[in-house]
Amino acid sequence: MEILVSIAVLGMTYALVAAGIVLVYKASRVVNFAHGEIAIVCGYLFYSAGRLWPAEGFFPAFATTLLFSLACGVVIYLVLMRRLLGEPTFVAAMVTIALAIIFKAAIVVVWRSSNLGIPMGRQILLLYPDGGALRLIDLVTLATGALCFIGLGVFFRYARLGRQFRGAAENALLASQRQVDINLILSLAWAAAVFAAAIAGVLFGSRSMLSPQSTILGLSGLTAAMVGGLDSLRGALLGGFLVAGAIYLTARLIDPALSEAVPFIILLAVMAWKPWGLFGTREELDRV
Amino acid sequence: MSPVSPFLQRSHAERNRLLPEPYQRVLIPLLVVALLALPMLGNSYLIYLLNLTCLAVIGAVGLNLLTGYCGQVSLGHASFMAIGGFVTAIAGETFGLPFWLAVPASCLVGAAVGFLVGIPALRFRGIYLAIATLAMHYAIIYLLTSYQTHFEASATAGISVSSPSLAGYVLSDGYDWYYLLLAVAAATVLFGLNLTRTHCGRAWVAIRDRDISAATLGINVPAYKLRAFVVSAALAALAGSLGAYFHGIVTAEGYTLELAILYLAMVIIGGMGSVAGTVLGAAFMTLLPFAVDAVGGLLPSAWRLGTVIYGFQEGAIGVVIILFLLFEPRGLIEIFRRLADYFQRWPFRYRELQSGG
Repeated sequence: MEILVSIAVLGMTYALVAAGIVLVYKASRVVNFAHGEIAIVCGYLFYSAGRLWPAEGFFPAFATTLLFSLACGVVIYLVLMRRLLGEPTFVAAMVTIALAIIFKAAIVVVWRSSNLGIPMGRQILLLYPDGGALRLIDLVTLATGALCFIGLGVFFRYARLGRQFRGAAENALLASQRQVDINLILSLAWAAAVFAAAIAGVLFGSRSMLSPQSTILGLSGLTAAMVGGLDSLRGALLGGFLVAGAIYLTARLIDPALSEAVPFIILLAVMAWKPWGLFGTREELDRV
Repeated sequence: MSPVSPFLQRSHAERNRLLPEPYQRVLIPLLVVALLALPMLGNSYLIYLLNLTCLAVIGAVGLNLLTGYCGQVSLGHASFMAIGGFVTAIAGETFGLPFWLAVPASCLVGAAVGFLVGIPALRFRGIYLAIATLAMHYAIIYLLTSYQTHFEASATAGISVSSPSLAGYVLSDGYDWYYLLLAVAAATVLFGLNLTRTHCGRAWVAIRDRDISAATLGINVPAYKLRAFVVSAALAALAGSLGAYFHGIVTAEGYTLELAILYLAMVIIGGMGSVAGTVLGAAFMTLLPFAVDAVGGLLPSAWRLGTVIYGFQEGAIGVVIILFLLFEPRGLIEIFRRLADYFQRWPFRYRELQSGG
């Protein structure tokens, strides 16, 4: 029971990170290697904002993080990614790698690489008989993740903008000829992705510690997205749980050192078997 | 790659010369003499920086052959270097092989691993290949870490490597190392320049530009891609092996993903598909942290950054990568070419027709 809940909570965090990567990839075919760094920086920001206005509680910190993440996403798109439309996918990916370096440097410069835990939702709800505890934040993580995925699903299925988004993802040129504002769609994708990363970062920081090393979260999320298929939200959810299960079980049962490598071993296995992931669509030749 | 106008070339041999421009035939010997004479300045810090640069050049030329020429983006270069370092440590310390055997052995093992990694990598292209090599990096580093902690129980902090000796002469200080590393780096650059002018190098460029057309031209695409992986991994292992001797210690934690990214940055900033550019890029990226450090030291003492300078050193790498990708995607070598053009064609504004670069 305890193992299942832990895997579900960890998996939801990874799935949220993966969802951000999938959103950006779907819209612009850019693999965002900076996602984990962005998530952790947003977590740090949430912590600092919470310290700045301790009396007001959750909402000022949340508003700051929300505003920062939306602005950050739009700025990344407008300043960097828009110039790289039409360039080889590798160039845009390299820019996100550089962004990852910069965000990680920001953790060192602004937060002095300190290990911080966000003091939120750490109340113990239930003690398991075999050790460990169910905390409030675990339930909050599951609920938030589910809400995000349902929201995204409804948005893509029913909202006009969501349908335009899918159209733009499928064929940007045709969509723009039907008066879909590609710049708006892509800014939106980046903003939503960074916001998803921020949520994941805050949830992660509330469950464990924020540190420069925890940016590995992004690579776990990337692995989850790749396992599920880079352009599939369903795949992100499934991939998140698969990767979390594998990490958690190897760390508990086999060897904690192996748990760092295990997502990548799974990734290699899945890529050898299905290069486009479990739910991903087979892509045109020049993309893979 | 030759920037000479095609109209002035009368034969294929002329098109394919090692140093096509007359000024290069003057400048390169001067550069060699200057590099050989540098130790006379007696500045050991400078020699240390140059040693690091030479090591970076060896590894970066290997990566440029794979990524810049053959178009296979690899984030796994650090793991090849790690293999070179570990094979050196095992061969040199556990089996007691001498320096002149341990280094080629590392290269051979590196080449073998490159071959093994290259076979599955043939399935992927572009960004998927980058992610696959990233996953491979973590798998290899995990294996090396577990070797380090389980089998060498005494050396959980890393495996130390004793100073090498060549024909009875122990390489102890930076000046000895300088001549060795300079020679190896020069040989690597020459190897890269020569290889890229052969059939193999041109096949790689064809694969990079459009692998389907390369296949229709009769190029055996998988075989040449594999060859690129093998050569690149062997050079990375050479750099890793020499680096292990130079630093005197090997740790699996030292070969991070950041190191692989740093090498990719050297290739991008120097110029993708240019061996000469790689030298510039390797020097630039090696010296950048020291330059940031020096600038930090100039600040008034109230603003001194202390340990946070590390963050600025890292951040500078990211900023430089973005600036180059946005504003000079062809790298430092393109800036150099423009300058050379300017002085060569002066007082005219531009040269006649550029051949494909």
